[in-house]
Amino acid sequence: MSKLEGKVAVISGGTTGIGLAIAQRFVTEGAHVFIFGRRKAQLDAAAKLIGHNVTAIQADAAKLDDLDHVAAAVRKEKGTVDIVVSNAGFTEQASIDTITPEHFDKAFNLMARGPVFLVQKLLPLMTGGGSIVLVSSAMHLMGIPGHTAYAATKAALRSYARTWAAEFKDRGIRVNVLSPGVTDTPILDSQSATREELVAMYQSMVPIGRLARAEEMASAALFLASDQSSYVTGADLMSDGGIGQV
Amino acid sequence: MGKLEGKVAVITGGSSGMALASAKRFVEEGAYVFITGRRQEVLDEAVEQIGRNVTGVRGDASNLDDLDRLFDTVKRQKGKIDVLYASAGMGEFVPLGEITEQHFDAAFGLNVRGTLFTVQKALPLFNDGGSIFMTGSVASMKGYSGFSVYAASKAALRAFARGWLNELKGRNIRVNVLHPGPIATPTQDLVLDEEGKRFFESQIPPGKMGRPEEIATVALFLASDDSRFVNGVELAVDGGLSAI
Repeated sequence: MSKLEGKVAVISGGTTGIGLAIAQRFVTEGAHVFIFGRRKAQLDAAAKLIGHNVTAIQADAAKLDDLDHVAAAVRKEKGTVDIVVSNAGFTEQASIDTITPEHFDKAFNLMARGPVFLVQKLLPLMTGGGSIVLVSSAMHLMGIPGHTAYAATKAALRSYARTWAAEFKDRGIRVNVLSPGVTDTPILDSQSATREELVAMYQSMVPIGRLARAEEMASAALFLASDQSSYVTGADLMSDGGIGQV
Repeated sequence: MGKLEGKVAVITGGSSGMALASAKRFVEEGAYVFITGRRQEVLDEAVEQIGRNVTGVRGDASNLDDLDRLFDTVKRQKGKIDVLYASAGMGEFVPLGEITEQHFDAAFGLNVRGTLFTVQKALPLFNDGGSIFMTGSVASMKGYSGFSVYAASKAALRAFARGWLNELKGRNIRVNVLHPGPIATPTQDLVLDEEGKRFFESQIPPGKMGRPEEIATVALFLASDDSRFVNGVELAVDGGLSAI
């Protein structure tokens, strides 16, 4: 019996990298997944890759109207939600001397504000026994130059899980954080250093001695989403090869 | 296909409660398990309950000679280890002011010193790519009256994990800590009275104690390749008690 048989999952940013790997794994385990992202072409490619039991919705996880649209689509097609994975994110580096309001707002809107409203809008559809996974980053514990805004948004997610674990006490909904380490995904191409420089730098820092594969984040997300973690709530699962620990 | 097919696991203190539930689960998932315990009759009962693919080795995890005997047995029978769940531990409520050397030595002797030598003596048999995890306690993340020595002994395991994961990086062996919250076990019955149990239940977001099987599923995660990139963490399995 698969671990998510008959479950409905909503994954923000499920079109590339970790989000896509999570969507693929959830479908393999029997779930129907709703993925959403801004770019139509990537969304279609992801849906094609996932193949079946997937609904792709064009929506921006930072825009509240778009989140309403996602919730309405889920309600119409399935009526309920069992699993919410807040995963949409991006990196853009700026040192404290060069941070602009635009840089700050872009990070916080997508990665700190968006997840609150994603969860709030899907909550009325959520079933008892449901699971919320907030994808943070090992960086929320670390001090890496250039990551003021990014790391702070990820720390906010860690805090949400604590508060919501307490607020969901009577609803039987669990909420946890998944903190990936440096994962080999397209997000690496969006940073200032070259991919090779980044890989070499991070490899020397990670105790496991290599970058993570997106599939390894998917198996950790599956653990948090499934009943295998039925007594785990408010927790932060670092899946970072130890980089945040040493 | 089980998640631990063909693996050899050693679980200290595996004769009751959470570790016993984990031993059962590991065997269901295809592993061969070695369990330990101090009392022969409890150990025999546990071996019978697990039913197959299990060896019980009587011993006290705070006694280094007993640990040698354990790993000699593993070496003779299987020759290797893939998973070590260092679970043997104890706790007693003693408030500051009443702490004796005996209380301190018993807690640190088993929970810290015993765990250290369990891991060290297991290492020569360990397969590269294996998984080590230790039983911590949510008490080490909180401040409960009367539990300072117990909590500190469990906090030490967290520091061990950080250091060891770097020392073992060349062998690709992962080291993690599993922090149980209040779980309904025979040991808990010895430590908590009914009033104590009601207190903890009132603190936990789900409003009830965890079950040993809910620790076993997390132990399976840490033991298996599903957690291949999880290293050096403290995973609280406490219904959210430590998060709030």
